[in-house]
Amino acid sequence: MQRRTARTRAAFAAGAMAVGLVVSACSGGAPQGDPNAPIEVWTRSQDDTKKVYEKIFKAFTDKTGIPVNYNPPPYNDFDKRVQERAQAKDLPDLVITDTGSLGPYRKQGFLLEVDRNAFAGQADLVERAWNNGKTADGKYFAVPFSTQAQVLLVRKDWREKLGKPVPKTWDELAALANDFTTKDPDGNGDAKDTFGIVAPGSTDRGYLAWWAANYIWQAGGDILSESGGEYKVAVNTPQTVQAVNWLKGLFCDSKVTLPNALTMVTNDAHNYFEQGKAGIYLTGPYMFTRFDKAPGKDKYEVIPSPAGPSGSTVLGEGEVIYQMAGSVKTAEQKKLAEFLVSQQAQELGMKVDAGQRQVVRLSVNKNVDVKTVYNDPRWDTVAKVYADSARPFPNVPNFQPFRQQTAETLNSLFAKCGNDVAGELNKLAGNLDKELKSQKAAQ
Amino acid sequence: MVPWLFLLPALLLFLVFKYIPMAEGIRLSLFEVRPFLGDLWVGLDNYARVLSDERFHNALNNTLILAVGQTAGAMLIGFGLALLLEGTARSLWFVRSAVFLPVVAATAVVGEIWRLLYYPAEGGFLNSLLSWVGLGPSTFLDHPDTSLWSVMAVGIWKGAPYDMVILLAGLAGIDRQLYESAAIDGCTTWQRIRYITLPALRPAITILLTLASIRGLRVFTEVYVLTGGGPAGSTDVWMTRVFSLGFETSELGVASAGSVVLFLVTLLLTLFVQLLRRRREA
Repeated sequence: MQRRTARTRAAFAAGAMAVGLVVSACSGGAPQGDPNAPIEVWTRSQDDTKKVYEKIFKAFTDKTGIPVNYNPPPYNDFDKRVQERAQAKDLPDLVITDTGSLGPYRKQGFLLEVDRNAFAGQADLVERAWNNGKTADGKYFAVPFSTQAQVLLVRKDWREKLGKPVPKTWDELAALANDFTTKDPDGNGDAKDTFGIVAPGSTDRGYLAWWAANYIWQAGGDILSESGGEYKVAVNTPQTVQAVNWLKGLFCDSKVTLPNALTMVTNDAHNYFEQGKAGIYLTGPYMFTRFDKAPGKDKYEVIPSPAGPSGSTVLGEGEVIYQMAGSVKTAEQKKLAEFLVSQQAQELGMKVDAGQRQVVRLSVNKNVDVKTVYNDPRWDTVAKVYADSARPFPNVPNFQPFRQQTAETLNSLFAKCGNDVAGELNKLAGNLDKELKSQKAAQ
Repeated sequence: MVPWLFLLPALLLFLVFKYIPMAEGIRLSLFEVRPFLGDLWVGLDNYARVLSDERFHNALNNTLILAVGQTAGAMLIGFGLALLLEGTARSLWFVRSAVFLPVVAATAVVGEIWRLLYYPAEGGFLNSLLSWVGLGPSTFLDHPDTSLWSVMAVGIWKGAPYDMVILLAGLAGIDRQLYESAAIDGCTTWQRIRYITLPALRPAITILLTLASIRGLRVFTEVYVLTGGGPAGSTDVWMTRVFSLGFETSELGVASAGSVVLFLVTLLLTLFVQLLRRRREA
């Protein structure tokens, strides 16, 4: 009997513990529902940009007395964690990430609408940047935070060693890439260990379409073309076919791209430029800090993308501030968003210490002068490219499925190296058309 | 009553972390998921989309090839290793631990390391080895013709030691006298394996087959880290497709439907293996 009692007691204790565990798991802190909790902010950040954000949020708290809870999820898990929190109906109060998330977030009802006229300091913002927060119906669901244009980074030392000019056209770009691949530009005696072009060709989040869009636009093609707020699939126009054929040549004929390009995400891609495996990289200016360390500031140059048959258009998007739905602290949300686009916060995001990367690339605030803040001619190039030849992806309700499907088709074309580019793009056009209709944005 | 109380902690944890999420997954599969706007009932539409999607068909195909290849490969190599490393000597204990390491290494880390080993140009580690014997360079993960096999090789490398341990346990249970009698009767090594070892290992093999087929169907991490499903969808498996739909295009309803289909297939497969086993044993 004695034993029986002890066992029973142990069982009850175990049961009580389990119940406790379960209850505590269910009632875990819910900052979103608690009006006294600090305002919770997530950014899509790695360690070097996290520190810059911390500085900005500290300045906000110092100024307003509103505490900020800043503990963003790991960079690679960001999208997943946002979905998890959405399922729990407990989103962070504010999220800063790519403008590309605007469509998916809006569609799922994650966002609060932004009233531009009631937004303090809205007149100080660059009109063009506001477009990054505009949805297909002309409403604003995000506030611009940072913009940028893609620029071409080229290994200057390699180029000069081979006696080649700065590439100004596609042909010169292809020729330079070819020489980087075949002529041992790093002079280590092995002509096979370097390549021309870093191309993040994975389909993860539709990367390949992100990268290839620049060249498609430069040929006069498009993924979707717009007229009067309505869209038409343009992924099978002769210009797009021409661009894709040219790109296919880089992967399949001259083989100037890194050999593992088609399964490579951008985070891996950076390493290959950094380690001197490839010498040409079309990317954002946020990489300067990292590449100044390796391969070294004097080793590479920053130039506008060479012109294709129809110009040198590049992708110019950026990060935006999303005020998330379900928050009980809407006033604080707005106050923080207003602070983030102020001259003070924007400059804090641009001026970084050693080892950190800018979280504001080109400021969205008119009063911030790129020349004074950076005092770096490379940033002047970025600003000029943004002003002259950058464009964003279109504001269809949700661009993500278009990007994803385009990336998958391009990846397949470049991997299989078949000849029926036009046929495959036609097939893609059919699928994109279906998507366009399901989003009710077709012409 | 008391046994149930002892079970209660585990049951409660399972309820919260397994059964409720599972039920929620089944519920979500019938909706277009929009947490802040209210989910829209779509009935079986999500299932129809999954089952009619060409990319899911391709993924299913790849998943089956990968599951069969990895299961068979890991079991054969595991069996070979088990035969080699059977015994009680101290040195064997050390070698067995060393061989077992791939199983305990984190799959994501394994994936990253193999990605480096597989670098598809002359500077790559494996390609350097190939060049010593006059072969290569191979494209490994970066060509649709070789990518799935390369992923499979990593799966076998990681799975074989696990199979080895289970088979070693099975081997230890075999009466040594059977081998001695067989030797006296003049049996060859092959005959001893065929008529003594394999029949005695049948229960172990059944367990391994069940586990491996489930593991094979759910394969995700190594594929995601190694190739992300590319190039040209050649390594896309069921779970990478579900992941991509759920977290890259935010189609949580369709992704849930994909998961439920996978769950049903796994359940049926497990029941089938169990039935088969019972019939054999009866």
